Amino acid sequence: MRRPYIPAFVFGILALIGLTIAPYMALMYAGIEKDMGFAQKIFYYHVPSAFMMYAGFSICFISSILYLYKRDKKYDIWAFCGAEVGLLFCTLVLLTGPIWAKPIWGAWWVWDAQLTLHLVLWLIYVAYMMLHSYSEDSLQSAKFRAVLSIIGFLDMPLIHYATKLWRTHHPEVIRGENFGLPLDMKIAFYFCVVTFLMLFLALLFKRVSLEKARDELESIKADIRDRQTILGQVGSE
Amino acid sequence: MSLFISQTLAILEKDLRTEWRTKERLSAMAFFAFLVVLIFNFVFKPGSPIMQSAAPGIFWIATTFAGLMGLGRAFAIEKQNDCLLGLRLTPADPGAIFLGKMLGNVAAMLLLEALILPILVIFLDIEIVGVLPRLCIPIILGTLGFASVGTLFAAMSMNTRLQEALLPILTLPVLVPALLAAVEAFHGILAGDTLSEVASWLQLGGAFAGLFCAACLLLFEFVLED
Repeated sequence: MRRPYIPAFVFGILALIGLTIAPYMALMYAGIEKDMGFAQKIFYYHVPSAFMMYAGFSICFISSILYLYKRDKKYDIWAFCGAEVGLLFCTLVLLTGPIWAKPIWGAWWVWDAQLTLHLVLWLIYVAYMMLHSYSEDSLQSAKFRAVLSIIGFLDMPLIHYATKLWRTHHPEVIRGENFGLPLDMKIAFYFCVVTFLMLFLALLFKRVSLEKARDELESIKADIRDRQTILGQVGSE
Repeated sequence: MSLFISQTLAILEKDLRTEWRTKERLSAMAFFAFLVVLIFNFVFKPGSPIMQSAAPGIFWIATTFAGLMGLGRAFAIEKQNDCLLGLRLTPADPGAIFLGKMLGNVAAMLLLEALILPILVIFLDIEIVGVLPRLCIPIILGTLGFASVGTLFAAMSMNTRLQEALLPILTLPVLVPALLAAVEAFHGILAGDTLSEVASWLQLGGAFAGLFCAACLLLFEFVLED
């Protein structure tokens, strides 16, 4: 019997509580921003999503290095799950961004540095997932994904620098807004960050336990096959 | 160290010699790149100023796409008769195999670019004679960056079910900063900018090429082993 996976459960409950209160904190508790109005509310979900995206990709990067160094399957599992959960939050960033951009910038999509960076990162990690799906050998796939994740992570500052240089005129709203927040907005914002962190951890631990169970199942299946062939050989003799 | 260099040169020589004898890869790449440039003439209004300002983009699209095709071939020929296994069995350092392969690709790409530039001049009516020496710097940096990441990913994609089809999916997103740097620097120089005016783009291109040449050199070992 597998013991129930406690971290996923605990973080899951905390995330559930947080996510029930988060809309109230974002929509009611925090005041309306005077320049951007109601559209600014999306930031309480957008920015924490971006933080969790970086957390996921960082876990993927570190685990990938450890995997190539130690060759332990568990690091590959952490890397894959980190990338997957990171990709989920990256998708959320890309979906919530345009909701804000339409009323403020007047267009769903603007080739702003930040947006372009996230889009390119999204593409890199989708490629990471495709590398997983289209590999024939699971051991080789693990190594290839580790290599891609290291290359992709090293590329991140370069993409950031390149897109900034490319689109120098983009407004620094995002960062400027974060620093000079009034107290109520700050509380709501940090509440959402913690909630998203709980959600991130719940998903990550759940995903890791699922992947470990799958791995265990594979080894049990292989074991049964081996026994059957031995039994078959004994029977024919 | 001298052993590493001689191993690298041996791999490079092998690749160049096979290419010289068949001329398959380069002719296919060159023809494909030519077609890409030609297609762009149908997409835009011929002779319009848009075409001239799009020239750096057209140049890099043609070289990147043709280059991706060539990279795929570079490892496809190694798969025939299990040549890659033979390469792995040699006492050569994996880094030397990578560097030899990469330099072979760089050579093919530079030759290809030397062929596309005149075509661009003829079709798009751009003026490059005066700026040609300056223009070489972003082209070389871009080619180095492209070849480093491309060679590593080509070796990876050959071992997947999609084979060469996965190569552009892996390479293009990672290549974004290198392509941006190459196109913007090309654009600037064509418009008459001095090297110091496009310095930040050249630095970015150089950083990309340097970082990924080193990273791919170290990581190739893991891609090669079974």
